[in-house]
Amino acid sequence: MAHIRFENITKKFGTKTILDNMNLEIEDGSFTVMIGPSGCGKTTLLRIIAGIGPQTSGKVYLDGQDISNTAPAKRNVAMVFQNYAIYPTMTVRENIEFGLKNNKVPKAERDALVKEISEIVGIADLLDRKPNTLSGGQRQRIALARAMVKKPKVFLMDEPLSNLDAKLRVSMRTELIELHKRLKTTFVYVTHDQTEAMSMATNIILMNNGEIQQIASPREIYTNPNNLFTAQFIGSPQMNTVSFGEGKGCYGFRPEKVQLSATAPDMFYTRKGTIVTKEMLGSETIYQIRFDNHSIMVKSLDDSFSADSEIYMGVNEEDIHLFDEKELRVAPEDARYAAMMAQL
Amino acid sequence: MEYGKQTPWEKIRPYVFILPAMVFLAIFVVYPVIDLIIRSFQEWNMIKPPKWVGWKNFAYNFRKREFWDSIKNTCIYTVSMVGIGLPLATIIAVWLQKSTRLNNALRNVMFMPHVIALLSVAMVWTWIMNKDNGLLNIVLGFFGLPPLKWIDSSDTALMSVIIVAMWKALGYNVMLIYAALQNVPAELYEAADLDNASRTSRFFKITLPMISPQMFMLLINSTIGSFKVFETIRIMTGGGPGSSTQVLVFYIYKQAFQLNKIGLAASAGVFLMIIVGILTGVYFWALSRKVHYQ
Repeated sequence: MAHIRFENITKKFGTKTILDNMNLEIEDGSFTVMIGPSGCGKTTLLRIIAGIGPQTSGKVYLDGQDISNTAPAKRNVAMVFQNYAIYPTMTVRENIEFGLKNNKVPKAERDALVKEISEIVGIADLLDRKPNTLSGGQRQRIALARAMVKKPKVFLMDEPLSNLDAKLRVSMRTELIELHKRLKTTFVYVTHDQTEAMSMATNIILMNNGEIQQIASPREIYTNPNNLFTAQFIGSPQMNTVSFGEGKGCYGFRPEKVQLSATAPDMFYTRKGTIVTKEMLGSETIYQIRFDNHSIMVKSLDDSFSADSEIYMGVNEEDIHLFDEKELRVAPEDARYAAMMAQL
Repeated sequence: MEYGKQTPWEKIRPYVFILPAMVFLAIFVVYPVIDLIIRSFQEWNMIKPPKWVGWKNFAYNFRKREFWDSIKNTCIYTVSMVGIGLPLATIIAVWLQKSTRLNNALRNVMFMPHVIALLSVAMVWTWIMNKDNGLLNIVLGFFGLPPLKWIDSSDTALMSVIIVAMWKALGYNVMLIYAALQNVPAELYEAADLDNASRTSRFFKITLPMISPQMFMLLINSTIGSFKVFETIRIMTGGGPGSSTQVLVFYIYKQAFQLNKIGLAASAGVFLMIIVGILTGVYFWALSRKVHYQ
C-alpha cells in the first residue's frame, strides 16, 4: 500500500533538462501507467522513484515519508527492468533470493518465500536452471518473481513486455492485471505501447517532452482528451484532425466514430469524399478517404466499399472534439464551443 | 544436387582451405616440439654428432641444485605475477571505472608500459634501482629508511625483477579487465542496488563472475608467460647475483648457448612444457565450471 508524491522534481542530464519542476501524485493501490513517446521522461520518473537515477532537485514522498535521499534498497520498492537485468551468473533461485540474502532473511523463511512466489509466477520447476537456458517469457517471470519476493510497497516496471513476442505479450498483460488485483499493491508501469496502457491501467499518465499532458483513466483519456497531443497519441489509427484555418484551432474525430454510407446520412457532420486506400485487417477495415484536400482515416466493420469510389462520411455531434489555437481542448461547457461547432 | 553425394573435390576442399595454416603449424610448432623431445634424449654440443643417452639428461638436471633453484625462482616469480599482479590489476581497473578527468588521463598512461620495449624498461629501472644514486633509494632516504641494494643483492634481486615485470604487465592487464568491466550491463548494478547488495557482494557475486572469462584467460596467459620469463632477467640481472634470479628459461639458455649442452637444455625444456601443460589442465579442471560464458 503506497501513495507516491513528487514535489517540484527537476532532473537534468548535464545541461539538458528532462523534467522541470514536476508535481505529481500516484494513487495508492493504483495500476498507474506512464506513457509517452521516447525521451519524454517517463523512465526517468520511474528511476527517480526507484532511487537509481536520483532527481537533480525536488522531493519524493512515499506514504507521506520523504524518501528523496533514501538508498534504493531501503525504499521498499521493487523494479522489473526492460531487459530484465537478471544476474546471468546465478541460478534462478539465487536470482530470486539475492535481495533476501542481502537483507539477512533466515534460510527457512527465504526458502518458503521463493517457493511461494515461484509457484505464483509458474517457474517452480526452473529454480535450479541458469538464466541463459531459459526463454524470454521465462526470464520475464524470473524478473517478476525477483521483484515480488521482496513484498514491496510499490512495483516499478520499465517496459517489461517489450522484449516478448506479440502473443506472449498479450497473455502477460492479462497476468499482470490479475497479479495487480491479487497483490493490491501500487504498480507504476512505463510503456510506449498504448494498447498496454489502455488494457492494464487504472490510471494513465501521458507525458510529452518532460511534461504531463493528462492524468486520467483509460476511458476518460480516450473520450475526453485534454489537448491535441493526447487526442492524437491515444487511439490507433490516430484521431483525424481538420484545421479551422491558420491560428483558429481545429476539430477532430476518431476513425472508429465515422459512419460510412453510399448515400448522404442524416447526421450532425457529413462530408463526401473518395476512398484512396483500403486495408482489410480481418475484423475491421481501415479506409483512407480524401475530401477538400484533407486526408482522413476511417475504421469500419463494413468492408464492402472499394478503393476509388465516392463515399459519404457521418459523425455524431458528441464524437466531435474541438481544440483551440493553443491545442487545448474546448469542452462543451466552454463559451467558445457553440461558435466553433457552428463552423462545421 | 542430391544431398549426401559429394564429388571428390568437395570432399577434399575443406582440407585444402586449412592447408596453409596447417603447414605453418607443422613447420613451426609440431616439428620443433618433436625435435625438442628427441634432443632431450641426446647428448650434443652442436659440433660432434648427437649421441642417444636415454634419460641421462633428465637425471642430470634433477640432481643439479641450480636446476631446482631456477624452478623455485620461476615459481616465486609466477606466484607473484599471478597472485599479486592480477588482483592489483583488477583493483586498479575497478577504480578507473569512475569517469573523472584524472581517471581518463590515468587510463591512457596505464597502458604505456606495455607499449615501451622491454629493453628500455629494464634499462630505466636498472637506473631507478641503482644502489648508490637511484631514485628509489632517494625516496627511501627521504622517509628516513635505509637504502636497499635492489638488484645487486641476492636477497632483493628477484623481488626487484618482479616489481619491474609487474609494472610492465600491469597496464595490459588493467586494460583487458577494464574493457571487460565496461561490458557488464549497468542495470545489473541497479538491480543489485535495489537488492541491497553490499559493495563486496556486488563485486564477488556480480562483477567477478561477469568478467570471469577474461580473468580466466589472463590467469592462464600470465601463468604461462611467467613460466617462460627470460628477457627481463637476461637484461637486468643475467640470472645473478649468484643464481638468485635464475629462472627455468634462463637455465635452458645457459645450458644451450653458454655451455653448449643442447641435450640438457632440451630436457629442461621438455620439463617446462610438461609443467605448463599440467598447470593449464589444472586450471581448466578447477575453474572452468566457475567461468561464466555468455
